[in-house]
Amino acid sequence: MTILVVGEIQKGAVREASYELIAFAKKIGGEVKGLIIGSGCGAQAEAFAKKGAGSVYVADDAALANYSVDAHTRVIKAAVAASGASTVLISNTPSGWDVASRIAAGLDAGFVSDAFNYADGAYVRRVFNGKLDARIVSSAALTVVTVQPGANKAFEGSADAKIEKLAVDLSGLSAKFVETKVAAAKGHDLTKAEIIVSGGRGVGAPEKFNEVIKPLADALGGQMGASRPVVDAGWLPHEYQVGSSGQIVTPKLYMACGISGAIQHLVGMKGANFIIAINKDPDAPIFEVAQLGVVGDLFEIVPKLTAAVKAAKGA
Amino acid sequence: MKILVCLKQVPHQDARLDIAGDGAWIKEDGIKFEINSYDSFALEEALRLKDAGAATEVIVTSIGPDRVTQALRTALGMGADRAVHVKDPAVEGSDALGIARTLAAVAKSVACDAVFLGLMSDDSNASAVGPMIGELLGVPSATGVVKEEKTASGFRVERELEGGALEVVELNTPCVLAVQTGLNQVRYASLKGIMAAKKKPIDVKTAADLGLAGKVGAGAAKVKITKIYAPPKGTGAQILKGSADEVVAGLVGKIKELGLL
Ligand SMILES: Cc1cc2nc3c(=O)[nH]c(=O)nc-3n(C[C@H](O)[C@H](O)[C@H](O)COP(=O)(O)OP(=O)(O)OC[C@H]3O[C@@H](n4cnc5c(N)ncnc54)[C@H](O)[C@@H]3O)c2cc1C
Ligand SMILES: Nc1ncnc2c1ncn2[C@@H]1O[C@H](COP(=O)(O)O)[C@@H](O)[C@H]1O
Repeated sequence: MTILVVGEIQKGAVREASYELIAFAKKIGGEVKGLIIGSGCGAQAEAFAKKGAGSVYVADDAALANYSVDAHTRVIKAAVAASGASTVLISNTPSGWDVASRIAAGLDAGFVSDAFNYADGAYVRRVFNGKLDARIVSSAALTVVTVQPGANKAFEGSADAKIEKLAVDLSGLSAKFVETKVAAAKGHDLTKAEIIVSGGRGVGAPEKFNEVIKPLADALGGQMGASRPVVDAGWLPHEYQVGSSGQIVTPKLYMACGISGAIQHLVGMKGANFIIAINKDPDAPIFEVAQLGVVGDLFEIVPKLTAAVKAAKGA
Repeated sequence: MKILVCLKQVPHQDARLDIAGDGAWIKEDGIKFEINSYDSFALEEALRLKDAGAATEVIVTSIGPDRVTQALRTALGMGADRAVHVKDPAVEGSDALGIARTLAAVAKSVACDAVFLGLMSDDSNASAVGPMIGELLGVPSATGVVKEEKTASGFRVERELEGGALEVVELNTPCVLAVQTGLNQVRYASLKGIMAAKKKPIDVKTAADLGLAGKVGAGAAKVKITKIYAPPKGTGAQILKGSADEVVAGLVGKIKELGLL
């Protein structure tokens, strides 16, 4: 049984998540083979091979300098054929989820998305935005799996490196990379804040941010933050968003009010020194990462807390 | 340009989730359903292209039991022209590939130039169906689309990467765009729209109608959920108990202890 592990190059190096895939492959058990895709990526292939992937295919072509869905689809399919893999592991990153299920459809394979574990013959993943877990079993001869970044410890070890070039026809591509853009400079920088009070969809209405959340942030001398649905609804600008597609914050205190705790939000704030969650649902996943919690209505708790903080400061 | 928009009806985000008797999904009876959040943004984007004269027809489709008629009616009320409802017990139990096969067959049957759908469904969280449809149709796909612009040969789109970075890509039509939330402000169905929707057609199809008999459904699924359960509790947070005043006193005490007050 061969497991093909698709490495990803980010800012010139093989990203941490790719080494997590090797660790994940060891949980499944089988012969690991790696794949590196890029332009002038011999050094990265060498690094990936030596640091655990062992035998690595490398698709090195000027046309692969940037991610392109059809180019990457072709390369990964070719590597599956060359390796005879029965499992393909890809990190669940923006380029990973863009291509992985295409490979599955193209090769008539089973597809498992965003697995964080493999145990007793089943892949384990979150569903319902973190509220439930599911065990998934594949009966297919080939299974393509995306793996949640950060969920497994990166493989730390070495292997005998063997690099094999993979030649793939990349003519006539139908999707063209134009450029990558970085978001405009942020007016509201949460990355330096010591205290952040964030509101989520549970805050319910745009005006409630200024009426309920901001006064607490102000009283504590901190900043206001938000979860994604708040920003999507246009209640607050994007620079308030905390999470994988917003800001990654590390304050001394993070207060999550009316935020359920989906993985994409947790990625942005779990590095806080201390986390307090206020949520009316006792089963909300946010209580698993918080140190202190209140199960209750934020509209009752937060204004009282604001008053108490002001009183404490006045004293 | 004809655009097909795929709408999944999912349990309402605030619905109580109880595990069903078979332990492999949630109990669906008695709970409220809504259009998957990502899909409303996909529909809005298609309707905007129609309002701007870039699209000639917006067709909505959903796979599911009778209840999904409501989602389709809402979409027609918002301005979609017609709907295709794939209603067939033989499609139930499909894995993502079965759903994608079915939606790809609908796309072919309506001869659309673009398929718009959500990046991810709020219940199964798979982010699987969009790229699969692209592959099955042999056309390009893009996920996490936060901006699109019609060009002479197709679309120029912005895909969301990590930490606020964006990737600009050009795709030839036909193509599949799986959209991220927040790329527009979704309209509500107006009263006039809802009245007009009553006259718009909902075409009901089975797997056999789409040439998929035996190719989709539980029997054809390659992956299967064997168990669904509440995530195991770790140490978790210390939960403050008592009246609101007591809880607040506890919070203030902690913030003081942290040296932040
Ligand atoms: C690629 C990708 C990137 C993403 N990036 C991000 C990101 O950067 N940041 C982010 O936040 N999300 C991100 N998301 C979205 C994420 O998956 C969740 O949908 C989102 O975090 C949910 O936000 P929420 O917790 O505010 O809303 P919900 O999940 O709807 O939770 C609302 C919570 O409020 C509680 N509540 C309701 N009323 C009250 C009340 N009166 N008092 C107390 N509690 C109450 C409810 O019990 C519930 O737990 C991303 C998703 C994807 C697919
Ligand atoms: N039963 C369905 N009917 C219509 N569209 C669907 C269905 N299931 C999934 N989709 C579409 O596929 C997208 C991605 O879903 P998923 O791959 O399950 O996360 C959703 O946002 C919908 O647009």
